[in-house]
Amino acid sequence: MKIIISIILFVSMIYAHPHTFIEVYPTITVKNKTTEKINFVWKLDEMTSSMLIMEFDINSNGQIDKNEQEHVYQNYFSSLIDYNFYTDITVNSKIIKFPDPKNFNSFIENNKLCYSFDIDTNLNINETLFDFGDTDFFIAMILKKEFIKLNGAIAQVSDLDNDFYFGYRLELK
Amino acid sequence: MIEFYNQILKQLIVLQYQLNSYISTIIRELNDENSLSNSFLILGIAFLYGLIHAAGPGHGKALVAFYFTSNKASYKKAFKMGYIISITHAISALIFTFGIFYILKTMFRKNFNEMTSIAMQISAVMIISVGLYLVYEAFKNRVHKEKQITISNKSEYAVALSAGIVPCPGVMTIVLFCIVLKHYTLAILAAITMSIGMGLTISIAGILSILLNKKAGSFLDSRGYILEIIGGFLIIGLGVFLFTTVGHK
Repeated sequence: MKIIISIILFVSMIYAHPHTFIEVYPTITVKNKTTEKINFVWKLDEMTSSMLIMEFDINSNGQIDKNEQEHVYQNYFSSLIDYNFYTDITVNSKIIKFPDPKNFNSFIENNKLCYSFDIDTNLNINETLFDFGDTDFFIAMILKKEFIKLNGAIAQVSDLDNDFYFGYRLELK
Repeated sequence: MIEFYNQILKQLIVLQYQLNSYISTIIRELNDENSLSNSFLILGIAFLYGLIHAAGPGHGKALVAFYFTSNKASYKKAFKMGYIISITHAISALIFTFGIFYILKTMFRKNFNEMTSIAMQISAVMIISVGLYLVYEAFKNRVHKEKQITISNKSEYAVALSAGIVPCPGVMTIVLFCIVLKHYTLAILAAITMSIGMGLTISIAGILSILLNKKAGSFLDSRGYILEIIGGFLIIGLGVFLFTTVGHK
């Protein structure tokens, strides 16, 4: 029986397999238990960044210019809606449609490609959960307490138990 | 049990995240003064990274597990198959990465993904063919046990090559990162050491399956062909699953 369990475990670990790591830096302002401003900054791992920068920074000036931004947004970022931007927002136990990202900006910081965007939505923090993860598990979203900037609430980070992929949950108190 | 599994899963991810960050920092800091010590360090980390990374999909573990659960073999064969898969994996990753980088140059990411998808589809078709072949042979030779052994030897290579042909995106990423920083020899050496690590993980999956087969063997002894047929169908199922998954991407 032990052997069978070992094999099942070993074979089912097929999901422990991300190739890209994205650090998530949320900045959230809360007033009267409701979110007023939500901004996310994603910092992609250096290896993935080097590959993408090579493609995005067409004039090789070490930054993502305005016309390059548009290319990144249209061809790479907006399509992530299919993956709910790797962020499930649950309100009253129901996952809501991810709000349209606003003020998208991509930049390079310490050799890492970063995406910054806002979402415009007022959510009651007592009813809301933010779950970060990729159901395909090609991407690993990394959230640490020190990445979070909160105004008007306190953050609680926990592991997201999805059986098949791993993620993080952010709750606001 | 599930909680324990999730903890392992988490630790594997966190470890890969840390290794990924660590190895990229060291590769970037590589210079004339520290080249020897840092190169050895990078190769050591690449080995570890391969070991952990091969716990992922597309590295042939499920295929190896199904194959050895249903076909009698020695531990040596498990190692041989594990290493054929990982070496093929690394060679295809090197060819794809250098090829795309130097021949196509532009639109790297797009081509990177497309090439991987095409290779996965080819691999899926090969896996289905191997599964069909195994079922056919097991059924045909169910009364001629000795003949089965020769056929298993042949099919081992088919199984290993069909799984290994998909270039490992993990190896491709490290290789590309080294190429971008103009560390060409290191790119090749890192791919080799990473594949040695991956080979070990895949071999362990094979060994565990052989252990399971030995346990089951005492019950099924004269009816081993049933296991072979089941294993063949599982391999076909895996191939169909891979094919449809790639098709949806």
